[in-house]
Amino acid sequence: MASARTGELDGYAVGAACRIDARAPGRTLAEIAVGLDPEGVAVDVARRRAYVACSREDRVAVVDLETSELIASVEVGAEPIDLVFDEASDRIFTADAHGDSLSVVDAAELRLVATVSVGMYPSGLCADFEARRIYSGNSMGSSMSVVDLDTLDTIATVEAEPGAGAIAIDPARGLVVCVNFIAASATFIDTQTWQAVGRVDVGSGACAAGVVSRRGEVFIVNSLAGTLSRVSLDTFELVDEVAVGRAPVGLTVAPSGDRLYVSNRGAGTVSVVGADDAAQWGQLTVGEGPGGVAVDPSNGLVLVANAGSGSVSVVEDLLAGAPPRPVEDEEHWLVGKPLPEFSLVDFHTGERRSSLEWAERRYLINFFASW
Amino acid sequence: MRRREEARSGLDVILIDIWEGSDPRPEVERFCELWGVESTILMDETAEYARSLGVRGVPTNILVDERGIVRAVGLVRLDDLDAAIDELSARA
Repeated sequence: MASARTGELDGYAVGAACRIDARAPGRTLAEIAVGLDPEGVAVDVARRRAYVACSREDRVAVVDLETSELIASVEVGAEPIDLVFDEASDRIFTADAHGDSLSVVDAAELRLVATVSVGMYPSGLCADFEARRIYSGNSMGSSMSVVDLDTLDTIATVEAEPGAGAIAIDPARGLVVCVNFIAASATFIDTQTWQAVGRVDVGSGACAAGVVSRRGEVFIVNSLAGTLSRVSLDTFELVDEVAVGRAPVGLTVAPSGDRLYVSNRGAGTVSVVGADDAAQWGQLTVGEGPGGVAVDPSNGLVLVANAGSGSVSVVEDLLAGAPPRPVEDEEHWLVGKPLPEFSLVDFHTGERRSSLEWAERRYLINFFASW
Repeated sequence: MRRREEARSGLDVILIDIWEGSDPRPEVERFCELWGVESTILMDETAEYARSLGVRGVPTNILVDERGIVRAVGLVRLDDLDAAIDELSARA
């Protein structure tokens, strides 16, 4: 029920003068087909473009954010997973997992200009644009590479833990946080000495991170545990854990600093999490199997790479702040109903098999993708 | 996880592959080799069946009882999956 006050509905502060559905606090403005298994995404504000690493096609897709169209693509190394755009050098960097390298693309000419060897299976990238460094988490090498953004020289290789991947930085504290997927931990590295100065155990499948420097905290996504760990950057201790959506895999901190966006690969949603209350405010519906997430700093729109759909969603977050009541998950509409019949080809035998074969049996169906 | 669930509860496990692109077989082959998967794998190449069930993410688990009734959807966390299977077993 709308109140007399403009811009409020059921106690929810709204960011636009329009009705907000508490269970759908976002509005999809576009969904753009980009290619197979898009993962990392970054925004080029000046050109009004998004760059998307299409990991199954070994290329970067270029999207015009004004027209919402795919306008170009650039071949890079093998299996680009994460991606960074450096405005100062006007170059795009990809972490090419199966190439053990970073690809460097000239953003003006959209061509590959360099390849930088790093450790084994780089899967996470993060840049300190002021200090002119880019960090690569090398998952199979259990290490982090530090590369000069301008000269492309490797400054240091730092030992982390198994599955070193996602990276986040706090320049104010001179810290880099390297998240270790297999070890389910995070390593804290001093940017003056390149030595590890601390570590913390987090949840299983730790795979993304974002720093809220004003709070002195880093949030770490735990994909298998389905949670977000909040860790102090001063004590390196776990502060608390927040439940988010199913199989969370990506995270970005909003430029406003008041919230985080966490992509839930298992649900087709992005959780909006308050940076101060560490509570899930709501979930934005995006494409299928979302992964990489970024915010366009010029307008606050959320860009999400959907690995299942092969697309990028552009979504407006309509939440002005925390809701008055937490939104509870609804039970799936299928629960309590007969499973619709299926008839699908068996991978091993090539024969078609029907659900009737499992009549009067109890079974678990696991929908999966090999990526 | 799958072997454990099958062994523990006598539950059949059916893997359904989706969202692989135009040539899924080599990807699924690699997946099976890497993870030692021997369970039944069915191919939903167009994801039509997945969409008909409202599946929007992976992994998504669906638990079905002996009457063909869906008992739970989602169940990504291991403790949630264990609890749902235990409940299903208790009803039998």
